[in-house]
Amino acid sequence: MPDAGPQRERATDAGASRDVAARKADHDGIARLSDELLPALIAKLGTTHLGELEVREGDWHIRLRRPYGTAPGEGRRATDKPSRAQPGHEGHGHARAAPEGHRARGSGGPSGITAGSGASSASSNGTGGADERSLERSRAIATSPAVGIFQPGSRAASGTRVRAGDSLGAVNVLGVPQDVLAPVDGIVGSTLVEPGVAVEYGQELIRIELAAAPSGASAPEAGA
Amino acid sequence: MFRRIMIANRGEIALRILRACRTLGVEAVVAYSEADRDSLPAQLADEAICIGPADARRSYLSAPAVISAALVTGCDAVHPGYGFLSEDETFAEVVRAHDLTFIGPPPEVLDRFASKEGTRRLLGGFGLPTIPGSEGMLRDDEHALAEAERIGYPVLIKPSAGGGGKGMRMVRTSRELESAIKICRSEAKSAFGDDSLYLEKWLDDNRHVEIQVAVDRYGAGIHLGERDCSVQRRHQKILEEAPTPALSPEARAALAERAVRAVVSAGYENVGTLEFLIDGAGNAYFIEINCRIQVEHPVTEMLTGIDLVALQIGIAAGEPLGLRQSDIEIKGHAIEFRINAEDPAADFRPGAGVIERYHAPGGPWIRMDSHLYPGYEVPPYYDSLLGKLVVWGPDRETAIARGRAALEELLIEGVTTNIEIHRALLENDTFLEGRMTTNLLDRVGGAAFLAAAAAGARG
Repeated sequence: MPDAGPQRERATDAGASRDVAARKADHDGIARLSDELLPALIAKLGTTHLGELEVREGDWHIRLRRPYGTAPGEGRRATDKPSRAQPGHEGHGHARAAPEGHRARGSGGPSGITAGSGASSASSNGTGGADERSLERSRAIATSPAVGIFQPGSRAASGTRVRAGDSLGAVNVLGVPQDVLAPVDGIVGSTLVEPGVAVEYGQELIRIELAAAPSGASAPEAGA
Repeated sequence: MFRRIMIANRGEIALRILRACRTLGVEAVVAYSEADRDSLPAQLADEAICIGPADARRSYLSAPAVISAALVTGCDAVHPGYGFLSEDETFAEVVRAHDLTFIGPPPEVLDRFASKEGTRRLLGGFGLPTIPGSEGMLRDDEHALAEAERIGYPVLIKPSAGGGGKGMRMVRTSRELESAIKICRSEAKSAFGDDSLYLEKWLDDNRHVEIQVAVDRYGAGIHLGERDCSVQRRHQKILEEAPTPALSPEARAALAERAVRAVVSAGYENVGTLEFLIDGAGNAYFIEINCRIQVEHPVTEMLTGIDLVALQIGIAAGEPLGLRQSDIEIKGHAIEFRINAEDPAADFRPGAGVIERYHAPGGPWIRMDSHLYPGYEVPPYYDSLLGKLVVWGPDRETAIARGRAALEELLIEGVTTNIEIHRALLENDTFLEGRMTTNLLDRVGGAAFLAAAAAGARG
């Protein structure tokens, strides 16, 4: 489960001196957020590859963050080869050394959910230096929603400004296109897969450089 | 023969099919869910492709995902294994519509045998003795009560679709029937998406015996003997053996011959299994047919020397059977132990976790079909089968002795397994005398069965 909880801004400000009506309004607000908004947000997070969702309303904001390494059903290792699904591809898709490969799980952090401050958890692997980590933090990757043939759309052009949820293209599954969605607000970077190529579920397709990269992050990758 | 087969399954059966493909010189692509990325079949395949998330409805049960994966990897056939899409006639139809071959019965054959209740009537018409049961599906509670009254209690409520004991309840009174039928409907609905139920006469102290058949596209059919699957817990098999100690060699041969005649007449195709209940007097009653390769198929392979998965693939490719009944020799005795990640002392609760240590037994006439390796993480999303230990001996006594030795050697650490229940079974007098019925374990429960075995060992 995503680790979800309403966070209250200025929690200490709301002292006991406030009148009953204001406190009641607060409690009603919390009840509404937790009973109505929260389940909807959790469901939403469950159906996407987003690592984090944040909603602001008045004095309140709710942030849901998917914990790392606890959602084997979602996300995809960045270390996986992207070319495995190509017809006629000869090699074995996986490293032969099973136990080592197994233990490597999670070291790359599931891609597509590297957006936002959630990526800071990825530093627990201890492999990336500070630069690498800040680069991770400034980037997200749109992944394939299905197994099929990839066709980028007009918004997949490098440099295009996109919002989270925008369609960047489609994966064609038996003639039915399934949208490739931008996981975050940002600027489209490089496309990792050629148009018309077979892709598998969860495969990394398009890089997104975050619109507002945290301070200290490297500049968006040039062209490609 | 096919050039490239998509294996749309997981675990030990994906590995088993992969091995058959290797033997046949056919390339194999394994379709896996994200939870099975590190699985042995995905690693050993010629190619592996992720088809969806851990949730089987969006991966192993998704026809578009499986078929799309088969097409983009250049496969010409799809092997569904058991469970998941293996007996889904709509899936088989869509596979064919995309110029792929479904490895199993053709869609129209699956359709003909799709309803268990309809199949009972169909094969009854071709001379098989069938279990008394309801006429058609249960329309409502009133209909159920009337049919149960006509058949006579106790009765077994069964879903028309699926298997594995889900949605099944035995009831002894009309009151029990009324409350159980709701549970069965909801279980069947959630497990198979179909809540139609029917009733079967329940035989107390019944035994479960099944006949393995193979029929090619040209109407040539053989049987490969029977398997005794009486050792169950909650309608799920855990140990299978052959030949069955329940029937004489003459009775076994007669039942198998009737079974193969009936399915050939009814137009069956490919490998299949006809399940029978045997009552205390040795009378056999047909209950259902399984239109797929079964978990316990290795028992028959050990007795006949025939690779059933290779045979299944060959039949689907349109090859003639190439075997006559006189070519089939059933030799010795074989026992299969299903090794599950479950706790017999805690009501067989399934478990998951990382396999810390694993050692498979070896030696002559010992076979271990398993996808385990040290470090493998057993995912919590699927069934609890970790592997199958199969032993052969020239007679039942020798097979049991080899089973004891192999179970002693088998080592699985990291998850709780049911190995102890198998060890206890091989010390149980009822089992050793070959008198076990399907309620051997359920009558006392797993914990009490283990405790009794431990007490017996001390005494």
